[in-house]
Amino acid sequence: MGPVKQRIANEDYVTINVGPSHPAMHGTLRAIAYVSGETVLGTDLEIGYLHRGVEKLGENLTYHQFIPITDRLNYCSAIANNVSYEMAVEKLMGLEVPEKAQLIRIIMTELSRIADHIVLVGILGVDLGAFTPFFYLFIQREEIYEIFEWYNGARLTNTFGRIGGVEAPLPEDFEERWSKLKKGLDKAIGETDKLLTHNRIWMDRTIGVTPISADDALNWGFTGPCLRACGVKRDLRKDEPYSLYHQFDFEIPTGKHGDVFDRYMVRMIEMRESVKIIDQAFAMYKELGPDEPLMAKVPKIIRPPEGEVYHAIESPNGELGFYIKSDGTDKPYRIKIRPPCYMIFQAFDELIQGEMISDLIACLSSLNIIAGELDR
Amino acid sequence: MAKPIVQRKYTLSERIYLVEIIKGLGLTWKHFIFNFKASLKPGPHTVPTCWQYPWDRREIAPIFRGEHMLSLDDKGREKCIACGMCARICPAQCITVKKGKVKEGEEEKYAGKFYPVSFEIDLLRCIFCGFCEETCPKNAIVLGQGYELAQYESKECVLTKDKLIENYRSALESGNLKPPRKKVPVAGAKEKKPAKSKVQKKTEAQEA
Amino acid sequence: MNDWTIAIIKVVFIWSWTLLIATIMTWVERRGSALIQDRLGPNIAGPFGLFQPLADGIKLFTKEEFAPKHAHKILFTLGPVLFAVQAFSAYAVIPFGDKIVINAKEIVLQVADVNIGFLFVLAVGSLAVYGFVVGGWGSNNKYSLLGGLRATAQLLSYEVPLGLAMLAVCMTYSSFSLREISLDQAGTFLGFLPNWGFFKQPLGFLVFLVAAFAEANRVPFDLPEAESELVAGYHTEYGGMRLGLYLFGEYVNLYTLSALMVTIYFGAWHLPYIDMSAYLSPFAYGIASFVVFFLKCAFFLWLFVWVRWTIPRFRFDQLMGLGWKSLIPLGLLNLFVTAFFIQISL
Repeated sequence: MGPVKQRIANEDYVTINVGPSHPAMHGTLRAIAYVSGETVLGTDLEIGYLHRGVEKLGENLTYHQFIPITDRLNYCSAIANNVSYEMAVEKLMGLEVPEKAQLIRIIMTELSRIADHIVLVGILGVDLGAFTPFFYLFIQREEIYEIFEWYNGARLTNTFGRIGGVEAPLPEDFEERWSKLKKGLDKAIGETDKLLTHNRIWMDRTIGVTPISADDALNWGFTGPCLRACGVKRDLRKDEPYSLYHQFDFEIPTGKHGDVFDRYMVRMIEMRESVKIIDQAFAMYKELGPDEPLMAKVPKIIRPPEGEVYHAIESPNGELGFYIKSDGTDKPYRIKIRPPCYMIFQAFDELIQGEMISDLIACLSSLNIIAGELDR
Repeated sequence: MAKPIVQRKYTLSERIYLVEIIKGLGLTWKHFIFNFKASLKPGPHTVPTCWQYPWDRREIAPIFRGEHMLSLDDKGREKCIACGMCARICPAQCITVKKGKVKEGEEEKYAGKFYPVSFEIDLLRCIFCGFCEETCPKNAIVLGQGYELAQYESKECVLTKDKLIENYRSALESGNLKPPRKKVPVAGAKEKKPAKSKVQKKTEAQEA
Repeated sequence: MNDWTIAIIKVVFIWSWTLLIATIMTWVERRGSALIQDRLGPNIAGPFGLFQPLADGIKLFTKEEFAPKHAHKILFTLGPVLFAVQAFSAYAVIPFGDKIVINAKEIVLQVADVNIGFLFVLAVGSLAVYGFVVGGWGSNNKYSLLGGLRATAQLLSYEVPLGLAMLAVCMTYSSFSLREISLDQAGTFLGFLPNWGFFKQPLGFLVFLVAAFAEANRVPFDLPEAESELVAGYHTEYGGMRLGLYLFGEYVNLYTLSALMVTIYFGAWHLPYIDMSAYLSPFAYGIASFVVFFLKCAFFLWLFVWVRWTIPRFRFDQLMGLGWKSLIPLGLLNLFVTAFFIQISL
């Protein structure tokens, strides 16, 4: 008998299977909930339905060929994964990426951060019964996809960037697209705020639901917005600045209790902060001429020196890290990915004890568990 | 593990559910009226955020990575020289190329010395990353704008060379060809002198 | 035509009219929700998608009638039937217009003018619980059972505020019969306000409105069929016409509740300050009163759809808390205040 079943062996419970395919759309995970009435006594979690052997694939592909595979990890914000992987390989090879390429990477990463947060807020609304903010927000996500399409050619799984830089400058109409998107985003986020944030039904559903204290969150290994919602002001962009983030002026929102409402509010405010970062980065980009280099000098076949490296960036979900061990050949010896939601999902059983079935769904939504990243 | 106890004081307008609900209702009413008036207009694209596929298609970027095509040069000869670089670099290993030497009578059909006897792309494996297009030395394989790729049988999802060239011809007719990729400026690259041909080198050696 | 024929014609008319309204409501729901959410709803089946309900009806009729392997054979079919029967019969005592004169014979536009009108509606309405519970149990599925249990608790608890609000109305108009209540709402009081229940009982109307949302299982009270939580609640295992009975029954319930609201709070067929019978011939007056009544009902039906797509849903304990801890005290307060005003004969 597993630990959960042992713990509740003396209670009267019914097993409900929130199965791999359920209408609360979060990818394929299975939560076997032991319920007494409407109160959840414990959950057994089963993951791995979307395991594709990504890390093993990395051992048979070259460093350049692995970039499209990293796209498919956190598919809601594909560019953050690409950038994290490329920065890890560049750290291993000791390359210096030119400034214009770094600015493009920052702009694209922040756009994908906005896209990921839109997914979370929309789906949280749908799971809790508020169907319309989903549509208002996703229309803006379509505009973000159009920017990606006109930059790179692909909307969702953009194989963004190359090892050493990026593969193209920003398209010429980026400025007008961005100003239109900015207005649209402002309106959509404002409308979502109006419909949800001060609505007492929403507040009753989300305030005080599955709170977690800062110490417990740090013990479990939380990172990202879920940790910031507990009051811990930790963001890799400010604490261990990588790329050009030390030059930008933005705030790190924090919550207080780490409940569903705080996680939702932290993400809403982060979307607005990302808009500020993109504005500043684009202003810097415009000052650079068209002949500035976009790629560092890399050989045709990338053979990093022997060694190992770990590099993490602040992806929309938390700290997404790549550990790469190279043995001098053109294929890596081992790639290990640190997915942020794996650590967060560990705490799910503790979070949900004593709450109700509706809270199970709300909590699962607000943790932003993306099965592609969880199972790799 | 002790859970923190969360309490929040609601303002009066939040406690009475109705004030916020009525504000929300006003917001959705505005959207409803706007869309209602828009839906009465004629034509397939009435509501601005709703595309009525297939009568109304969204504009696709010219650099979209869709269905593949093998291009011909301006004399109508196949550009592909069957070097196999695309098959090498494909992360999904979906390209199979068989090389053949161009015979004497067939020079109008092929641009190079070698040509692909068979060139197959398995669309069911392709991840549309665009690496084949990027690495092709002759700009032969190009990813076009096709995205309607569903078929009834899996055999038809394997693109043969004929289908690929046909894709190119229809893209040429509709004017949807992608401009060739521009080379990205590289940091620390020196100005390359133009390469000297064998004849030039011989004359320089003779002069010296 | 003798009385029996007229009665049968009225029954058939009301039955087909409510069914027609239920099918049109599916169209209104889909199209209205789409236009709120910045998209178009059904627009291929006929102009503006008006034939979509027909297509849906044909689909539901022709689908395979399957039942899960271990479902209880009788209860599985009995659930939707009970629910649909109750939904249609509750409308029997609600008037849908004033008198109409055909061939010099006066016909009252109400199927049965029972003198305990509103008690009948409450009694038949509470049979809806059977539909949910029997269907949920007979499906042999934990999700359906949970949905059925939630529906039971919710419907039973929200009948109390419903009854309290209606009781206050009956005290105001000193009658239980719905026809007399509607007749009493002609004219004005306090000089300028129409004699409608809404102006005499604003708090009661609020209580009734919220309780009506809960009785009809609509967002924000739609936990029994919460899509993201319990797959589809009590109708998870249903398909084909059994599901059709559940869905149509829900819309007919909605129509009954809005008709009830219009009858007791919004003056049934009366226009605010105009007395239509003075201007129109008796036949035209009958038709006009029907149309006015229907338009007022249509507003409430639209309100149900509008609210559904705007606000999130309650959690179950908050729902019960709202019913028992907020609505029932408000209903009782309303009752006392009404009694006080009646005592000082206002």
